[in-house]
Formats: sequence, structure tokens, C-alpha cells
Amino acid sequence: MRKSSKTLVIDTATDYLYLAYLEDGIVKDDVHEPGKNDHSVKVVPKIKVILDKNKCALTDINQVIIGIGPGSYTGVRIGVSIAKMIGYMNDVDVYRVSTLALMATASKAEYIVPFIDARRGNAYMALYKQSGDTLSVIKEDRIENIDAFFSRITFMYDKVMTQKPNPEKLFNSEGLLTKVDDIHALAPNYMQITEAERNLRKKHAN
Amino acid sequence: MLVMGVESSCDETAVSILRDGKDVLANTVLSQIDIHKAYGGVVPEIASREHVKGVTMVFDTALKEGGVSFEDIDLIAVTEGPGLIGSLLIGINAAKIVSLNYDIPLVGVHHIAGHIYANNIEHDLEFPLLALIVSGGHTELVLMREHYRFEKIGETQDDAVGEAYDKIARVLGLSYPGGPEVDKRSREGEELYEFPRPMIDTDDYDFSFSGLKSHVINLHHNMLQRGETINVNAFCRSFQEAVTDVLVEKTKKAIDAYSVKGLIVAGGVAANSGLRKKMKANVTDIPVYFPSLRFCTDNAAMIAAAGYFKHQTLKHTDHYDLNGHSRLDLAKEGL
Ligand SMILES: [Zn+2]
Repeated sequence: MRKSSKTLVIDTATDYLYLAYLEDGIVKDDVHEPGKNDHSVKVVPKIKVILDKNKCALTDINQVIIGIGPGSYTGVRIGVSIAKMIGYMNDVDVYRVSTLALMATASKAEYIVPFIDARRGNAYMALYKQSGDTLSVIKEDRIENIDAFFSRITFMYDKVMTQKPNPEKLFNSEGLLTKVDDIHALAPNYMQITEAERNLRKKHAN
Repeated sequence: MLVMGVESSCDETAVSILRDGKDVLANTVLSQIDIHKAYGGVVPEIASREHVKGVTMVFDTALKEGGVSFEDIDLIAVTEGPGLIGSLLIGINAAKIVSLNYDIPLVGVHHIAGHIYANNIEHDLEFPLLALIVSGGHTELVLMREHYRFEKIGETQDDAVGEAYDKIARVLGLSYPGGPEVDKRSREGEELYEFPRPMIDTDDYDFSFSGLKSHVINLHHNMLQRGETINVNAFCRSFQEAVTDVLVEKTKKAIDAYSVKGLIVAGGVAANSGLRKKMKANVTDIPVYFPSLRFCTDNAAMIAAAGYFKHQTLKHTDHYDLNGHSRLDLAKEGL
């Protein structure tokens, strides 16, 4: 991961559309706004706005950080498709980051739980520990019953749902960014197989 | 003018490159048919996952096949609907980011306009023209008096014809996709059963296939109950004869009413051998065009062809806020 560069951060896996433009590891501009299932309409126009404002062409971007979920299946696919295309077209480095890790960068607390509701009493969650500007994973990304997860955390934590991320922290933290070796193979992290696949496996097991 | 077409409305991820709306430089289709086979039909969530998996590879293959690069492309056309929304959004956002990256004008295209313009790749369309669109999602008769103006004169009131084919195939225990399988079996069977021809004599150009479908399923069920052996080939043949009789009859009626100069049959069911034969035997006074098989099923060459004419005829381009639509009115496409 190079800090001396023009970096575009994209995350469309939650209700919030998140974009950031960084120069040499410093956030120059960002977009963080709630959407109503309209990431598909807004994301490319907003990428253009943020780049134009900073007098940067999309072809000048030399690295992309993409939130790969977990989160909304339809949402995450929009961002991942765009990141794949940018990486492929311009032959630039693409780094994937967990959407939950990106969310966790918003908090100043020592213990942080990024949280995305997944309905039926479940949520996508993880637990991060922060020291200085560095985050480390305590509990990996998961989908779990909300009460069960929180009942096991006996200390103070900050639950992050809608705060604006600070992607500068990603560069300092070990292991949060993973370089994509084969851009064609980049895919969202859905965390679950589809219902149809589950039913098919059940049928075959019987 | 080089046009890149992008199509992802159902279960094929496709990118094509066409010169001047006709000359096909590349036609790449990544089909998911083998994946959906296990489920007996297209599973939307799985389709979307496959599109995002394959998206960059399909662009890459098409560019290599065409021997061109993105910088050579003058227009990018993408299916904006109708179709599976999660699937559509992958192609649309990929097309939009290509458009932004290389400053290429963008145009959203109606999927059915694409099926119609698939014909223009191999023959010049002559107007007025009648198009019968038959696929898993559509059964409609469209009148075109000039390039890129569509008047829907009739459509199915319930099931699309391809949908009825798939349902019958499932009941008869045939593999997915059902259409080609029923077609194959019907060539080996006799018309032993008298199935209804719904709406064949009505004064409009509309269709209905759900009653016919139920009739076939009920007979099948009753025969099983009585312990009779099912002659699958005869079932397929009898069903196919009923369906194609209705399609041909309604189409002929529309040809006479609108004195068109040509008929085109488009969409996945245009590949059906029974329909091809019967239509050509019964419509002899005007030319009847069926696209070659690779342009019948979903592909992006047809989207590039339609996009080229949309751009040329309507001087139309879209902005980066282009969205996908699961439903989309064809009549509004040419306005
Ligand atoms: Zn189609």
C-alpha cells in the first residue's frame, strides 16, 4: 500500500454511500450520505463530482480501496463492479477492505463494534480495538444474533452505524487492507450462501 | 462508428463491439445456464452474483476478440431494462464507469428494442415492419413505421410464451431450459392431443397462454392418476402446435391490418424450429426474418445495434444517473 498516491475509496454496502478522495494518505474530500436504495443512480455521478472538485481525472487515480461488505447484496455489488472496472481499465492497484472495518475507523473509542442490521434479530458485526490511530481485529466479521453477540462483551464499546469513516487509519493498521492479485476474481463478501443454494444442499443431503 | 454493447438483464453477462450498428467485431456472452440448471430456473440472487464475478472478464474477452481498445469506442450502449434489477445494475454501473473513464457517450437501451435490432445486423430493416417478440419474459407484437419508433399493438395477458414452455417442460420432467427441449421432443412426436388455441379468433392482437398451460398440466395429472403412460413427445408436439398456431394466426392478422413490408421474429423463442417452419410456411407474401441463433438468445450485439440507431435517430445520450428498471415501456423508448 503506497501512501504517496491518489486514492479513491468506495463503499456501497450500507445505506450510506461512502466515497473518499485521498492524496498521499490524507483525505482531501469525501461523500457520506444516506441513500434510499439509490446507490446505483448516485455513485458514478458522485465519483465525477468528487474528482472534478479536486481536479483529478479517474485515469489519474492510482489506487482504489473498495469496501467488499458484508452488507446489502445489491448495494455491495454496485461498488465492487465499479472498483473492478477501474482496476481493470486503468491497471491500478485495488485493495479490498471489510465494510465493517471501514466503518470502525469512524470511532475514537478503544473498543468499537461496527453494526449493520441484517433483519430477523441478526446483524453483521465485528469487534475492533483501537490504540493510537491503529485498529486491530478482536472478533472477526460475522452475521449473528444481536443479543447473543453483545451479551459476550462485558466492557465499554462504541457501536458504529452511521458515522463517517476515516480511511486514513486503514494505512496504519495491519491487515485491514488486502491487495487484490487478480482483479477478475474480486467478489463481494456476502457471508452467506443464497437461500436457493441452501435449499438445494438440504435436498441433496436428504 | 464503434459501439460497445453491454447486456446483463437476466442470466448472461455480455459485451459486444459493432461497427456502424451492423458489423460484429466481437460478441462475448458469458452464460450462466449451467449454474441455474440445478434450480430449474434462473435464481435472481445467484444471477447477480455471477454477473459481478464475470464482469471484467467479459469486457476483456470482447476487446481482445474485436482487436480494439476502449479508446477506440465511440458510444457505449447498455440495457437499462426490463429485466432482473440486481442483474441490470451490474451492467449499467460497469458501462457508466467506462463512459466516465474514457469520456465515451452513454446510451441506455430497452432490451426488446435490442431483440428487434438483432435482425438489423443481418438484414436492413424495411418499414413499416411488424416484429413478433417471443421469449421467456415477453410475447408481443410491435409495429415500427420508421427507425426507433415502437408501437405495441398486442401482448400477452398472462404468461410469456417462453415461460409456458419452461413450465410444461418442468411438469414433463424435462431439463431446464425447457424451450429447446420441448422443441426437440416435439420433432419426434405426433399431435395426439387436441389442446386449446386461446384467443386465436379474438379481434385484437393479444395473447394468453396460462389457460393452455393449465389444460396441458391437468391432462398430464389426470393421465398419471389413471395410471396411463405419458407419451412425452406427443405432449410436446401437441403443445407446440397449439402455441405456434396462435402465434402465427395473430401475426398474420396484424400483417394484413397494417400492410407491413416485412416481419421479424425475435427473442429466445425465435430459435424454436416449429415456429420458424410454421411462420415461413404461412407468411409467404412478405419477407420473414429470424435472427441467427446466436442473436436470438440474449447477447450484447443486439444492444449495441439498438444503441447505435437510438443515438443516430433520436440524438439521444444518457447521463451518469442512468438507472435500471425491472419494467420499462417500449413505446416510450422511441420518444
Ligand atoms: Zn431477452
